[in-house]
Amino acid sequence: MNAIQARKTPRALEVRGLGKSFGGIHAVRDISFDVQSGEIVGLIGPNGAGKTTCFNLITGFYAPSAGRVRFGGTDVTGRKPYHMARMGIVRSFQKTNILKSLTVFENVLTGHYMEARQPLWRTFFPGRAVRVAEAAARESAERIVRTMGLAHRMDAPASVLSCGELRLLEVALALAAKPEILMLDEPAAGLNSQEARQFGEILKTVRGTLVESILIVEHNMGLVMGVSDRVVVMHFGQKLAEGTPAQVQSDSKVVEAYLGGGRKA
Amino acid sequence: MRFEKHCLWGLMALAALLPLLVRDQYVLHIAIMVLFYAVLASSLNLVVGYVGEFSLGHTAFLGTGAYTAAILSTQYGWPMWATVPAAGLLAMLVGVVIGGITLRLQGPFFVIVTLSFAEVLRLAADNWIALTNGPMGIAGVPQPALLAEAGNLDAKQFYYTVAWLLLALTLYLSFRFVYSNAGRAAVAVRENRYVAQSIGIQPLHYSMLALVLGALLSGMAGGFYAHYISFVGPEVFRFAFMVSMIIMVLVGGKGTLVGPLIGALLVTFLEEYLREAKELRLSIFGLAVIAIVLFLPRGLMGFVVQWRASRRADAPKVAVAPSQPERRAA
Repeated sequence: MNAIQARKTPRALEVRGLGKSFGGIHAVRDISFDVQSGEIVGLIGPNGAGKTTCFNLITGFYAPSAGRVRFGGTDVTGRKPYHMARMGIVRSFQKTNILKSLTVFENVLTGHYMEARQPLWRTFFPGRAVRVAEAAARESAERIVRTMGLAHRMDAPASVLSCGELRLLEVALALAAKPEILMLDEPAAGLNSQEARQFGEILKTVRGTLVESILIVEHNMGLVMGVSDRVVVMHFGQKLAEGTPAQVQSDSKVVEAYLGGGRKA
Repeated sequence: MRFEKHCLWGLMALAALLPLLVRDQYVLHIAIMVLFYAVLASSLNLVVGYVGEFSLGHTAFLGTGAYTAAILSTQYGWPMWATVPAAGLLAMLVGVVIGGITLRLQGPFFVIVTLSFAEVLRLAADNWIALTNGPMGIAGVPQPALLAEAGNLDAKQFYYTVAWLLLALTLYLSFRFVYSNAGRAAVAVRENRYVAQSIGIQPLHYSMLALVLGALLSGMAGGFYAHYISFVGPEVFRFAFMVSMIIMVLVGGKGTLVGPLIGALLVTFLEEYLREAKELRLSIFGLAVIAIVLFLPRGLMGFVVQWRASRRADAPKVAVAPSQPERRAA
């Protein structure tokens, strides 16, 4: 919590005219949206709409062919992924990505990398400062594991977790990096509806305590509409609509994109 | 962490007692080779076990160290306490160069390129006669001055002490590295590069750190080897050393600190006692490695660690059942 209080000015993520083409295919074209500080923004769209590509462009896993990404007024377009993390933007992945051979606690502890960084010589001759930092990281890791409801799995190897627990661990690992903006790519994929509901509750609790804002890509409409303050809809690489969950749900273009157009008589 | 620390202390204490109990030169020689190989295997393990890239070029550092010590002492008259650290430092520089190039590659590409670096150095040692004396090698690497009057047994005990100190240094540095934030970062890179980057880790930074640390340690081991054997030839770059190191790391358990020590102990003794089997010896090793990879993919120590972890994971379940208290003791 301290990490967040320490940041004075709230920073917004601004995406302007972002585009990416692979050869002749425009995976993402002219996407613009904002994530204000304190917001949960949903990014939805049918399969292949370019949501994950968008994530990869913002977090530097792909270099955009067009457009800019700004964070708190600073241009961060095309920065390296680890650089984005150090700026305060941490993402999770669509296919579950965790450190498989480690335990739940070790996973989350590793996530504290940036907080626990030391000068090189301190690695080999740790003093009191290092021990204090390590103890703080361990304590924080334990707290995050508890917040995510994984306390009973603290020392279990990640390889034995269930699908639902893995998704929670993934979020815990990202939260451990103390991001300002947490970007989740289909975090509820594979969860049943009750698990997804609990997941939504957890997201609401961590916003404002462990993280400022959340950008979430998700196909589970109940979850997205339930947690998001605003929803951005993508279709064939372009932005189709943006608004509150209620506005988006009643938008005829959105309904058409998901369910197909009505028969033209 | 604690379990591993206790194991290391125990093994090192046992090793410290050995020269007090054993006065047989042959056994001492084998013990020295065990310590030497333990340093090498531990340093290779930093790359194979903690960065997760399979280096076949580790002999590049061993050989560089051995030649550095041999040349500095025969041509410039440096004493052993100066040549061994110098050997480590030069090997470290070679590590920076090789790592800077090879660590941008992964998987099979990394394997091939590291192997070719070691081969290139071997060819250089074979042909740069002005510096390395070519295939004849450098003979008569001087012994430390204080051994001038000493007998063979005293010399062996001296070298045993040096090797023990070298191993202690290796284990100290490795332990600090592995159980630090930097070590966790390296493991994150090994387990999943994408996750590592998404939590702010620059992968190359930590794979370099591990490789350069490994280069430093194996370079010092090479310097030690030059003085102890008192001869250095191009075969220090040969694949045979590499094979021994790999077997030790795999058998003992990569990614554990105790594993390479156990591996070094087992393999050195087996190599010695299977001498009678002659050509069959290498075939037996080959079969042993296949068996390890198939049945104990994480090596002996990996198996122990896993077994302990699964016992710990089971323990809370038993504690939850109130009808059967204290079954954990069973």
